[in-house]
Amino acid sequence: MTPVIAARNLAKWYGNVLGLSDVTLEIEPGVTGLLGPNGAGKSTFLKLLTGQIKPSIGEVSILGRPVRGDASLYSRIGFCPEQDAFYEEMTGREFVTSLLVLHRFSAAEAKSRAERALGIVDLLEDADRLIKAYSRGMRQRLKFAQAIAHDPEIIILDEPLNGLDPLGKRKLIRLVREFRDEGRTIIVSSHVLPEIEALTRTIVLIHQGKIFARGDVHEIRDLIDTHPHLVSIRCPEPRSLAARFLADDHVLKVDFGPDGRSLLVETNNRDLFFSRLGRLIVADAVEVEEITSPDDNLQAVFDYLVGK
Amino acid sequence: MKPYLDSLRRVCSVFWKLGRQARRTKFFFLFSQLPAGVALIFRLNVLFSGRASATGFYLFTNIIMFFYLQMIILVLALFYGTSVCSEEVEGRTLPYLTTRPLPKSAIVLGKYAAYTAIAAGMTALGLILSFLVLNFGDFSGRAALALARYLGVLVFGLVSYGALFTFLGSALKRSVFFGLLFSFGWENVIQYFPGSTQRLAIAHYLKSFLPAPPSGRFAFLTFRLEPTPPGLSLLILGLVTLACLALAGLVFSKKEYILED
Repeated sequence: MTPVIAARNLAKWYGNVLGLSDVTLEIEPGVTGLLGPNGAGKSTFLKLLTGQIKPSIGEVSILGRPVRGDASLYSRIGFCPEQDAFYEEMTGREFVTSLLVLHRFSAAEAKSRAERALGIVDLLEDADRLIKAYSRGMRQRLKFAQAIAHDPEIIILDEPLNGLDPLGKRKLIRLVREFRDEGRTIIVSSHVLPEIEALTRTIVLIHQGKIFARGDVHEIRDLIDTHPHLVSIRCPEPRSLAARFLADDHVLKVDFGPDGRSLLVETNNRDLFFSRLGRLIVADAVEVEEITSPDDNLQAVFDYLVGK
Repeated sequence: MKPYLDSLRRVCSVFWKLGRQARRTKFFFLFSQLPAGVALIFRLNVLFSGRASATGFYLFTNIIMFFYLQMIILVLALFYGTSVCSEEVEGRTLPYLTTRPLPKSAIVLGKYAAYTAIAAGMTALGLILSFLVLNFGDFSGRAALALARYLGVLVFGLVSYGALFTFLGSALKRSVFFGLLFSFGWENVIQYFPGSTQRLAIAHYLKSFLPAPPSGRFAFLTFRLEPTPPGLSLLILGLVTLACLALAGLVFSKKEYILED
């Protein structure tokens, strides 16, 4: 069976800068999360998928047809770009309606579809305001509305949750799941692991222009959970607290901060560590002012996975 | 061919509306009506002083047309023409257009048509107003015919210059700078060269449509003009326009535009 999206030996160079290197990937219906730190090559991959740029090497096809040079394919693709860019002097309704007119819908059909799409993203009340007066979250929802308004089979979303408030994020996540249940193919990129986790179990890890891993999000999570974590604790008596951790197997290293009021603990079992710390705070009345995880981000996970 | 024309019509209708709403259109509207203001000042001066150094028609064919042909249509064509592609790249709105089921060249041509129509509308309004102000109470069939002819010359100018600047905008990053060099450097100098050199300027062919040069101290427009026959001028302007639009469509279809964050 022909995959919905197929990329073969895809590579992209911007002059001397590598954007993407030797990516071979097949994407089937459902939600696929494209996860990677900023600058990893996610947007380059999505631009190649949508034919906005041409590959230096390799090829990409959608529904068995090459993307570039076949404009009719775009009636089956919805794309939500990462950039916060619009025709600012249009209203939200004009924006979505105009883009639908470019999809060859009649004026009446474009109007009714725009109404429906704006309703889906809860923008109907503000549809007649100029886009330049929209908040960041509203602009993000408007971008999503134009991507779904023509009812595409394939939806490609580049960092769609950026700038949304928690309610907006939840709503969008629910919508993506609904589209998945309708059998559509959805690709979502993000640099935030929990966001991708909320959307799908199938993820593609991309790093420095290469597909680093592909599979179930829980397998990746397990890798991350065994990754040594740094936890910084700010407290009045760091030496006393450090003494209590020294006997614990899951604590690999303890360092003291230069100010004498903090300690940096390295653990290979974050859950066990936090459970122990919680007990110390509650049962032994250990005073703690602040707990932070300096390496709790995707870049740190990637650095760990690639063995840096 | 029919789907292509349909795509072109759709792009044109979207940008005809968007172009009219744009803030810069308000500015260029005022700019294109400046000669009407100048005409009004002339007219009031004649009214209050009672002295007329020249007829309204003479002033219209020389001073007002000079403004339009040598400055206003160049500025309008330059800013609208170069913006066809560059505003999408600089505004980072390009993906909204290039991910629609439209031939890429139809995007360029549709926007060009919309923006040329807007610029032509503004120019025509200003020219007609200027004509009415300067010739108030002194209309003649000859003057009306001349107005139509001058209007045609300006529209040809907008179409030809607009096509050239659309091509520059699709191909070059600093298209406005190069457009300014061309408009107020090349065009303003080459058209006054004697012999066949002046035929290397678009302005030469536009001026070749003008009536026989009237004498007088304001005959700037036809200074040193060695006109090309109107039929040949029309052909050359048409070829320049078609070539520039074809190149603009080709460049836009093939070139990768990198949107900067």
